[in-house]
Amino acid sequence: MKTLVRGGRLIDPAQGIDAQRDVLIENGFVVAIGEHLDASHARVVDATNAVVAPGFIDMHVHLREPGQTHKETIASGTAAAVAGGFASVACMPNTEPALDSAAIVSEVVRRAEIAGLARVYPIGAITKARAGIELAPYHLLADAGCVAFSDDGATPRNARILRNAARYASDLPHVFISHCEDADLKGDAVMNEGGPSMRLGLEGAPGLAEDVIVARDLLVAADTRKAWHIAHVSTATSLDLIRWSRARGVPVTCEVTPHHVVFLDDRFDDYRADSKVSPPLRAASDREALRNAVYDGTIDVFATDHAPHGLDEKAQLLSVAPVGFSGLEIALGGYALAFPDLPLARFVTLLSTNPARILGVPGGTLAVGSCGDVSVFADRAWTVDARLFRSKGKNTPFDGMTLPRRAIATIVEGAVVFEHGRVLPRDEVPA
Amino acid sequence: MAPRSLLDVDDLSPEELVGVLDRAVAFRDVLPPRDLLAGVPVLNLFFEASTRTATSFSLAEQRVGADIISFAPGASSLGKGETIADTALTLRGIGVRVIVVRHEESGFARRLADSFDGHVINAGDGTHAHPTQALLDLMTLRQEFARFDGLRLAIVGDILHSRVARSNIVGMSALGMEVTLVGPATLLPDSFAAAGVRVERDLDAVLPGLDAVMMLRIQRERISGGLLPLLDDYTQRYQLNRARLRSLRNDAIILHPGPYNRGVELTDDVLDDPRSRYVAQVHNGVFVRMAVLDLLVNGAAIPA
Repeated sequence: MKTLVRGGRLIDPAQGIDAQRDVLIENGFVVAIGEHLDASHARVVDATNAVVAPGFIDMHVHLREPGQTHKETIASGTAAAVAGGFASVACMPNTEPALDSAAIVSEVVRRAEIAGLARVYPIGAITKARAGIELAPYHLLADAGCVAFSDDGATPRNARILRNAARYASDLPHVFISHCEDADLKGDAVMNEGGPSMRLGLEGAPGLAEDVIVARDLLVAADTRKAWHIAHVSTATSLDLIRWSRARGVPVTCEVTPHHVVFLDDRFDDYRADSKVSPPLRAASDREALRNAVYDGTIDVFATDHAPHGLDEKAQLLSVAPVGFSGLEIALGGYALAFPDLPLARFVTLLSTNPARILGVPGGTLAVGSCGDVSVFADRAWTVDARLFRSKGKNTPFDGMTLPRRAIATIVEGAVVFEHGRVLPRDEVPA
Repeated sequence: MAPRSLLDVDDLSPEELVGVLDRAVAFRDVLPPRDLLAGVPVLNLFFEASTRTATSFSLAEQRVGADIISFAPGASSLGKGETIADTALTLRGIGVRVIVVRHEESGFARRLADSFDGHVINAGDGTHAHPTQALLDLMTLRQEFARFDGLRLAIVGDILHSRVARSNIVGMSALGMEVTLVGPATLLPDSFAAAGVRVERDLDAVLPGLDAVMMLRIQRERISGGLLPLLDDYTQRYQLNRARLRSLRNDAIILHPGPYNRGVELTDDVLDDPRSRYVAQVHNGVFVRMAVLDLLVNGAAIPA
């Protein structure tokens, strides 16, 4: 099977390429990069007036399967991924049951293969049932396919457990990913603490709730020398703590989400939960710090924290409605909206090169011999209509907005799984 | 045009607000005929226990001739997972035109109003708003001072958890009053200063310059919640008592939204003090609520 991506502007930061180049993929791997490559016997993807990049990897999604398939399934979530321009996703372990056993992880991998769309990399739990009490079986989870470990959504309250987890798993290259929120400081918060929460009479989570856990986890990372990744950074102080740790040689990386770099905590006047998310949307000073941190290189990764829920669930009262919303299908546009001046090479680095390196997974480059995952995108304005999402989660604060960039085609292992606005499952799974 | 619902004081323009007070005063002077809302079905939907507000609304509704429906929402469909929108649709289908609602969650009245094709009166939503309480406080102040502009009032105590404080801040600021908030930082974060009001920690420094002081109830659960130390520490700083009454001007008045915690935010001396206006407040409450019902259902106030 040959696939030729023809006529696009190839941007591959790992090779230092930004030029008009065709990319030829055969049997799942890149076999040639060049001008006017021979298209005979190849499935041709027309990338004229578009950018061709190594397959994008979203290292923070919730696929909800097993256990919450009314919110999302591996099939619907990976359809959303490829439609949004992602060739791969790393899925968080807060399923029911949690991804804390080899059997469950193997089942996720199997179902992802059946779906035949994006690559799915499970992230294993740090503690059993994500309860923060007993360690998860890291080596068994790694053997079953896990690429990282996290108790996302929660964080072990007990620093001794977290330290022991990092020490026990220290012989594995797998990064630990922290969702940083102190449960006591957060309380029953439904939004950010600040002027808007005071005015609305809503309980807010202070930035401090994030900062203290970022500080703690970075100190544990320094102590254990475990590679660490801070998920969805949302405060200026967290960024300062990350910079401070890096200066001391701690192996730490971090990500942002589209919503934290676009929106503020001024979206709750209607008391609806459409913008309820953890960590919460913050004030302008934090958003400004996040944007600057993308430009200055502090931020390594553009993720989504794709967290689909049923519309009826999000329509509940603010206090009981779940946190999060769909992100996969607005990510490219959302980031382009927030960072109109970001060089495309940096855009690709944050969406592909860096997540591939941090997770230790294939891709991140289209060098000859690397895996044939390609994301083709273009700066073409479009208006978000969440009802049309492939994701079962039809909720996003971006709904109705016009975004400046969109996915054109997505190729996974040489198979075109998204093109012309259609998701195209692979007929068979290459070995 | 009159607003459809009253969710907070700022649903009324300053002119409408004064108009409601005028109307309430007219009703207090001479009770209107009991047909202002004749045949209008009004539902009292109190998810949270209430004595004064529920009683006051009931009497007000009777005095304007409404058809009154009350039920215990603890056992309602909302508790069984029915959405707010579905409940609103059902109630409208039944024929309810006005809902007077109290709920423990901030924003509940707004969420209900957004899906209810009728009038919603917020009788208290969480820690957010309690507009008819603010209106009766304003009515009491105007009765005393015959003006709002430049009046200096302090609200003392648990501002963070007070819907009465929030609604009064909105209304009083709009009418040109100088509002000072007084309390410890755990119950009065500095960010309240953003609302165009002063935040102070020292009640003794504030008291002598006031035209009015409003004392908020302190709930004992603030101690178990880690927001307050021993009550003695709080009362030493913020309790209105015999000693502090001496620094309050003779022509100043004392307001309290009730219910009191005697011996906590105030002592018995305060209740016996001639400057206390608690009875006037609850008395005015009935007329303010009649005026609000009249305004929402019948439109802009008919010249009295």
